[in-house]
This record gives sequence, structure tokens and C-alpha cells, in this order.
Amino acid sequence: MGIPFIGLSPFQWIALLAAAMTMLLLADAFAGHYRSGFALRSQYAPFISGGLLIVSAAAAAFVPEAAWANLALRAAGWLAIIAGAVGFGFHHFYGMAKKPGGYKWLLHYLMYGAPQLAPLALTATGALALIAARGLAGEASFAGVEIRVLLLGFVAVALAGAILQAGILHYRGAFNNPAMYGPLAAPLLAVFACAWTAVAPSGVALPVLAVLLWLTFLTGFVGLGMHLRGMGRQMGGLYLALFNWLEGPPAFAPALFAGLAAVGLVTIYLL
Amino acid sequence: MERPTERGGTVTGVRGALGLFKMGAPTHPIFVHFTIALTASSMIFDTLGFLFNKASLTAAGGWTLVGSALMTLATLSTGLTSSTRAPVEEGEARSFLRAHMALGLIFYGLLAAVTLWRLALWQGGAGVTWLYLATMAAVSLVMTVQGYLGGELVYRYGVEVEQAYRELPEREAESAPPEPASSSPRLSPAEKRGGGS
Repeated sequence: MGIPFIGLSPFQWIALLAAAMTMLLLADAFAGHYRSGFALRSQYAPFISGGLLIVSAAAAAFVPEAAWANLALRAAGWLAIIAGAVGFGFHHFYGMAKKPGGYKWLLHYLMYGAPQLAPLALTATGALALIAARGLAGEASFAGVEIRVLLLGFVAVALAGAILQAGILHYRGAFNNPAMYGPLAAPLLAVFACAWTAVAPSGVALPVLAVLLWLTFLTGFVGLGMHLRGMGRQMGGLYLALFNWLEGPPAFAPALFAGLAAVGLVTIYLL
Repeated sequence: MERPTERGGTVTGVRGALGLFKMGAPTHPIFVHFTIALTASSMIFDTLGFLFNKASLTAAGGWTLVGSALMTLATLSTGLTSSTRAPVEEGEARSFLRAHMALGLIFYGLLAAVTLWRLALWQGGAGVTWLYLATMAAVSLVMTVQGYLGGELVYRYGVEVEQAYRELPEREAESAPPEPASSSPRLSPAEKRGGGS
């Protein structure tokens, strides 16, 4: 199903993107959980579920015909969805509700507590893995919704979540650099364009969406560079790499923008 | 501070030469040249292939771009390794270093995008276009700026060469605090230590 690109089908690409995005978000999760000293055993959960997702997504991409790989991808996808949802609850409870002041200090804990939406990124990659598994099995729709429409909806929702989390953290950083408005520019417009194309595809919506997704893809790399620069601005810069990796801006978070844009581009060009 | 680079006299034999091998030498400057050469070659091959309608030149342009996208991963990772080994105190040199680090990843994003575009053109059996060549020129311009920043880091500030930049205090605890680079004439390392010539 779909148009292959350099030898791989669209759903093989989506499985690879799910694996790559999971790897990057686990790297940031490790920094956050290591910083807090892995105080709870449940803080290891994303690395187990995410690790299984990476392995199974890579396996499904390399042997797309294998039924066992597809089954493993579906199982790992569901596990990641559950782990992410439970993580969201933990971040909310331990990172806000249980903290001194609780909801009365809502803005403070949104900014300085555990990142509230971060665990849902694992849920999102789990959902992406499920869509990839269905696509690899030759299914053209899910619950009566065409997979192409489902993917555009997925990109819109996941991008909106990433923008919201980035917006909160950049607000905490007082938007001290104009580039910090980046996630609120092209990616935000891409959310609306995705929804527009999913609901009412047309000859106008598609090129607009393509341009916005390419800009979002580049925004991800600009973010990676600027976050690296942000680490370099801390005392000692990268010479104190471990400390500044833990205390600086999340190193790999902007790559999610590039990854989600890539999913959108695969959808509009290959499906 | 003794410099570790000069440990003896003229090297006259293989054994002496092997004894001077230093596996901890920075590898970033090696990989940088692959990125620059492959990207620039790709643009030149594609331009010539487009102007003279030569399929072999266009093919060479495609392969060199793919080579660049792959080799630049090594350039990036060795660059990160190098920056973790540079004990640069806040000042001009670190400003250059930060700009170089940020632009490196931005350049890679552009390179990845243009490589995907090139692969799509190749798969569709289409040749390169003026728009593609103009984009490649813009990407090459970013690469040039990036190379300039890297060159300044090495040849003006001596990062990973001889520590001409202001170092973090822990590296030269016995020396006097260095002067800011922008407000005083540059001193040789011997003068910094108060040793005159």
C-alpha cells in the first residue's frame, strides 16, 4: 500500500520514525529521571516499554512480512500507550498534586515540576507503532477511518501537545531568544493545516501543508542546535557535559518536531 | 605548563614515529573535510550535469550528496566530543563555539531535507532543477559560514590546538587570571605565565 521510497514502503518508514522518536524521547526521559535520582521504581518503566517499542519497530521495518514482528509491534505499541498514560498520571500526581501548594501553584508546577505532557510522547509513539502495524498488515482503515486521515489527525494532535509543552517551558525561559517562538510559528500552523487536509483535502490545502511540514522539519533541527547552544551557555558549557545536559534545555526534545513533520510528509507524499 | 606535543628530538625511525602516535587526537577536523568536499562536489557535479545534460555528472552529484549526509553524522558526533574536551571560559571563543554548535545542527537539518529532495527526484526519474540548485547554493553558503566559524575556533583561538583561549580556572590554577580577549593585546602562553620570552 502506498508509494515506496528508496525501497521502503510508507509504513516501514513510519515504523522507523516511531523507533527513532522513541529513542530520542527516552534519552530526554533518562536525563529527567536520572536528575531526580530514579526515586521511584516506576521511573524505569518508560525504558522497558520504550526499549521494546524500538526493537519491535525496527524489526517490523526490516522484516515487514513477518507475522511475529507485526504482533510484537502491536504488543509493544499498546504497552507504550499504557506506560505513557500511567506516566502522565505519575507526573501529574507526584509533579503537581502531591507537591506543597498543589494546584494553587499550578503555573509554578507546570513550569518547574515534572513535564506534564512529556510521558504522552511515549503514548504517541505507541499509537504511531499501532498505525504502522496495521498499515504493514495491509489494512487501509481503522474503526472506519482511512489510515491517511488517521495519520494526519495523529500528527495534528501530537504536534499540538509538543507545542503546548514547548510553549510552557519556553515561557519559563522567558522567551529569552527570538528562536524560542519557533515552535509557535510553523508547527502551530501545520497543526491547523493537518486538520484542514484531513477534513477537507483539496488542491490548496495539500501544498500549504507540505510547505508547513517542511518548515516544521527544519524547526526541529534549529531547535536541536539552539538547545545545544543553550547547554553551551551554562557555566562550563559542554566541558561540564553531564551536568549541563541534566540542567540545560532538554537536548533531544526539538527532534520530535522534525520526527512528527516527517510522519506528516510520509503521509502526504507516499500514502 | 609543559606542552605535551614536543617530547624529544627529530624522529628518525618507524619505532620513534609509532611512539608518538596519539589516539586521543581530535578527529573532528578530519571528518569536517568530508562534509565540505562532498557537499561542494555534489553542487558542482549537479550544476555541470544540469548545464551540459550529462547523466553521469548528475549521478555523481546524487551519490556525493548521500555520502555527505552520512559522513556528516560522524562530523557532528566528533564535533560534540571535541566540545566536551574544550575547557573554554566565557568570552569570545565560547561565543564562537556556541554559534558553531548551533549552526552545525541547523546545517544538518538543511542537508537532510535537501538529500531527501534529491532522492525523491532520483526516484521519480527527474533531473535537478534551477530551484534545487539554488537551494543547494543556499545550503553551501550556510556550510561556508559554519566552516568559517570552525576555522576561527582553531586558527584564532586554538581550540584543541594550544589553548590560546581563556581557559576554565581549574586548568591553570597556578597562573594569573587571563585578560579578556577583546580588551587586551593577545599574550603568548609564556607571557601569560609571566615568563617573558
